[in-house]
Amino acid sequence: MKDNEYWNPVLETMPQEKLQKLQLKKFKEIFTWAYERSKFYRKLYKDAGIEPGDIRSFDDIRKVPKIEKSMLRGAQGKDPFPYGDILCVPLDQVTAYHQTSGTTGQPVYQADTWQDWELSTEAYAYALYAQGYRAGDRLFLPFGYNIFIAFWSYHYAAEKLGCEVVPGGVLDTSARILKMQELRCVGMGATPTYILGMADTARKMGLNPPKDLFIRKITVAGEPGGSIPATRKRMEDAWGAKVYDQVGSTEIGHWGYECRRQAGLHVNEGLYLVEIEDIETGKPIEGPGKRGKMVVTNLSRMAQPCIRFDVKDIIQWNARTCDCGRTYRLLEGGVQGRADDITKVKGVLLSPAAIEEVVRNVPQLGDEYIVVVTKKGDIDDITLKVEIKPEYKKDEAAIKAKLTDHLRITTNLGYNIEFHEFGSLPRSQAKSRRFQDMRPHH
Amino acid sequence: MAQEYDIKAMATKIKALRRNAEALKEISGGIPAVIKNADRILANVKMLEIDISDAVKVMGK
Repeated sequence: MKDNEYWNPVLETMPQEKLQKLQLKKFKEIFTWAYERSKFYRKLYKDAGIEPGDIRSFDDIRKVPKIEKSMLRGAQGKDPFPYGDILCVPLDQVTAYHQTSGTTGQPVYQADTWQDWELSTEAYAYALYAQGYRAGDRLFLPFGYNIFIAFWSYHYAAEKLGCEVVPGGVLDTSARILKMQELRCVGMGATPTYILGMADTARKMGLNPPKDLFIRKITVAGEPGGSIPATRKRMEDAWGAKVYDQVGSTEIGHWGYECRRQAGLHVNEGLYLVEIEDIETGKPIEGPGKRGKMVVTNLSRMAQPCIRFDVKDIIQWNARTCDCGRTYRLLEGGVQGRADDITKVKGVLLSPAAIEEVVRNVPQLGDEYIVVVTKKGDIDDITLKVEIKPEYKKDEAAIKAKLTDHLRITTNLGYNIEFHEFGSLPRSQAKSRRFQDMRPHH
Repeated sequence: MAQEYDIKAMATKIKALRRNAEALKEISGGIPAVIKNADRILANVKMLEIDISDAVKVMGK
């Protein structure tokens, strides 16, 4: 087997046409399962005039109505409580509760059977193995182990691989750093924001993470930073470690991962069907070159199936294949943002991820930033709040000019730049909301 | 590379695992320790089916 590369070579190197055949077969199965067991799905599909026997091709799949977060919120809170009639199994088969973070509204409840939980672990195992985690690695998880799905599956997948997991639960950041130093942990998983924040804290404690700590591989999730080159470089430089992106969500599971080549996110096409739709027309985007909205199906989640979920994430197929030999398709630039976040400012389409790439490419600036869009009269106004490192305060004017130029070139927009004291902007351990649209209609 | 493995033989063994775990539940006499541990085995069997057995048909094996 090629350099011990794959968790499961049967699926990960399956020729694309066979993978698609498998996806079609599995889509029919999960569609039938949901149709027969969930009132929510049955009504949705009956209203659209679609029955299980109608699914014969990918064109038929595209006729299946999509679900959105608001629909999931609408279904919950009723019997079978609290999940509502989206549930496909009796309540006594549900063994795990989680919920979304609620960054876009009321949290969505997620029910899982033990088998679903195994599936979540299995999907994460594909990622960790591809990223070089192996039995004998001692890993640290600086994660709150709570109602959010976050890094639960990292924990169980790492155990499945034979790694030793140190749960960093309720420890504060300093205690976590000391513990990972004491135990010589070699890997960890967290959000990009927290990875950068931990390095900052370590330095304040007088430690130099690449030299004084032993972390050599980091898996990030929960924010797009892992696939933003400038943010990845900051994390890798701060820790002296390789940083790999992993993507997923509470409702979907862990649908994509980078391998050791860091050539882009592989979509786990053995377990998921990912479709890309044109943001404006809704037409399918089959090849590289155009970004669109992701529509995703978890092909095997049983308690609360996720079928054609319109996630609002913006992605794009990559023209490249990866040297790793996986036939799973790559995404260009990971998750490039959320359709909800990509907004017109002064008539120009603005993606917050583009701002992050510029800010994190300026070494004199700290890791944190906030973008605030307001309206002054009829005119949109953008303020970018950044932190300047103390040793560069004297260069403020030059940094401002450089930042303004780069932002204009990258985003075609002008910004009010506000410099803040280093360490004064809010830090988050979970998902950060750095883009704040305060215009009246937003 | 996916063709290098005898997934048909693996699928046969996986099927036997499922049959055995289900048969164990049937003769458990209601002992929770048997039923619940068999359920956990079956969840892992399902992962093997997803990883291997489901591929057999599309690989033309």
